[in-house]
Amino acid sequence: MSAITLTAVDWIIIVLYFVGIIGIGLYLRRFTRTGEDFFLAGRRNSSWVAGLAFLSANLGALEILGWTGGTMKYGMSVAHFYWIGAIPAMLFLGLYMMPFYYSSKIHSVPGYLKLRFDERTRLLNAVSFAVMTLLMSGINLYLMALVFRTILGWNWNVSMWVSAAAIGCYITLGGLMSAIFTEIVQFFLIWFGLFLVSILGVSELGGLGAVFHGLPDTMGRLWANTGVASANEMKVTWAGIVMGLGFVLSFGYWTTDFLVVQRAFSSKDLRSARLTPITASFFKMALPFIVVVAGLVAFRLAGDPSKGFALLPHPSHPNEAWNDTALPMLMARYYPPGLVGLGITALLAGFMAGQAGNVSAFNTVWTYDIYRAVIKKDATDEHLVWVGRVTTIVGILLSVGTAYLAMQFNTIMDYIQAIFSWVNAPLFATMMLGMFWKRTTSAGAFWGLIAGMIVSFSIFVAFKTGAMPVALSRLLTFSDAPSEMSRNLWQASWGWIACFVVTIGVSLVTRAKSDSELVGLVKGLTGQSESADAPLLGRPAFWAAIAFAVVVALNLYFW
Amino acid sequence: MSDPSKSPEPLPIWFFVGVILLVYGLLLMASDFLYGVGSTVLASTRPCLWWGGVTALCGAVFLGVGLRVHAADKASRKEEQS
Repeated sequence: MSAITLTAVDWIIIVLYFVGIIGIGLYLRRFTRTGEDFFLAGRRNSSWVAGLAFLSANLGALEILGWTGGTMKYGMSVAHFYWIGAIPAMLFLGLYMMPFYYSSKIHSVPGYLKLRFDERTRLLNAVSFAVMTLLMSGINLYLMALVFRTILGWNWNVSMWVSAAAIGCYITLGGLMSAIFTEIVQFFLIWFGLFLVSILGVSELGGLGAVFHGLPDTMGRLWANTGVASANEMKVTWAGIVMGLGFVLSFGYWTTDFLVVQRAFSSKDLRSARLTPITASFFKMALPFIVVVAGLVAFRLAGDPSKGFALLPHPSHPNEAWNDTALPMLMARYYPPGLVGLGITALLAGFMAGQAGNVSAFNTVWTYDIYRAVIKKDATDEHLVWVGRVTTIVGILLSVGTAYLAMQFNTIMDYIQAIFSWVNAPLFATMMLGMFWKRTTSAGAFWGLIAGMIVSFSIFVAFKTGAMPVALSRLLTFSDAPSEMSRNLWQASWGWIACFVVTIGVSLVTRAKSDSELVGLVKGLTGQSESADAPLLGRPAFWAAIAFAVVVALNLYFW
Repeated sequence: MSDPSKSPEPLPIWFFVGVILLVYGLLLMASDFLYGVGSTVLASTRPCLWWGGVTALCGAVFLGVGLRVHAADKASRKEEQS
């Protein structure tokens, strides 16, 4: 017996979604002729379209389920991942980094590394990004099948293959434009399908004040309990949050991960590209009103036996409640037929859009940064589009393979999910130095990147295998008993520091490129911003200032 | 925005968002009439009916915006080509 039972109207809503996204793919097929159409959506998007896609590429169901469950464990601290852990980095990308990315007319982030440094740095990043993306896509698929089997009793193979086939179909047909369209549809489905859970939950508990009133001290505040690690549920100090999450992990992800940055590249001009992450930041700030509020409601309900609310048991540890089922169980509590279908469709769309984002980023990096760079340097545009389509199908099949691998070897997921801090955190140091310090050399970037990846990976493995000495653990994490979250934040930080230091050290003893080779790629050698004489409302800096003020106000309110 | 050398402009995403939300909103409202007040918590507030109405209304607005944007795109494209 499954936790949620679907009625005919629920099935109609789910089937209509599949018909809709494949229909969109078929419709967009005829607008997808050139490489720029397929890989960059024709560079025709406004900042609204690119901004929503930018956010939605990150807004998978995995994140929503995970952080709703995470709120039951960590409380309000989860909002850090949406505010300090995202907004400053998104604004920095729009204001300072996008001019270098967009103006150089590259197809991908590794493409920038080629222009700024050399082919080997590009290849190192392209290969690590391609592997990371495929593995993440497979994990996403596996968890989707796991969630739907647990809450709906769906068959593993059917849910994995049907969703993979639908994604393969619409990405192969319409390329990035298809991915962007379905990501935006997913964004609205998530709001219309899941926000009502928070509204009804708050209503049942008697208002937002009542939800917060019953929380323990360690869960209800953002910063007040971060003076010492043991005073909050995340077991991390404010320094870990600011340095690890707010700086390294956040900037590493939002400013260098091609999965999200690719959406900004699809903008019609530089001003729209710069506004893309800034527009997205406003929507990002609003997400805790779904995720955190629903998690707090679930926490309150689960703590009151008279409410009759319980989570499902964890599939791998049947004696433990599975926090990630908090949102589906709230849906089961509040949603009548019809709304259940919409809620499940929102989750399905979230999983599929997350996977589609990974596949579309993978096909671009493979085609431009590996295939054209190494295998066929004289490939025509038409040939590259063909390669992109084939790569999409191969990428989908590899994702399905990874999903089956994860199903067989459950612990592999811990490693795969940590890949991000091995790849992106050091890359942010490389990008920052590359864009803002013209003395950074190709050798410095390459060896810095290698050093950062090795340091981050070694810390992860040492903690995972129990080989980390207690004294060194205390030195690295500033905590006697670091939580997994705290370890993740610090391992990324040390990876970043290693890359930063080695890049500077090697750069100082190797030959830098001349100024003429760096025009348009480095601060100080790039022309004035396009919006210097634009009206106030058209300036990215104006909207970034407003976004920054709002996020500061939110932090102060929930301090 | 419209470069004549590029592929023709597709219907804007707002059109598709509008269609999907409108259809889903109407289906939600229909399911309220079909299944009546159920046994879920706060079912008496008829969430399918009012949330379906909100969804359909937003869908209609997006549909309208999508059609207007597309008409404007087509007009500006024609102007550029002439």
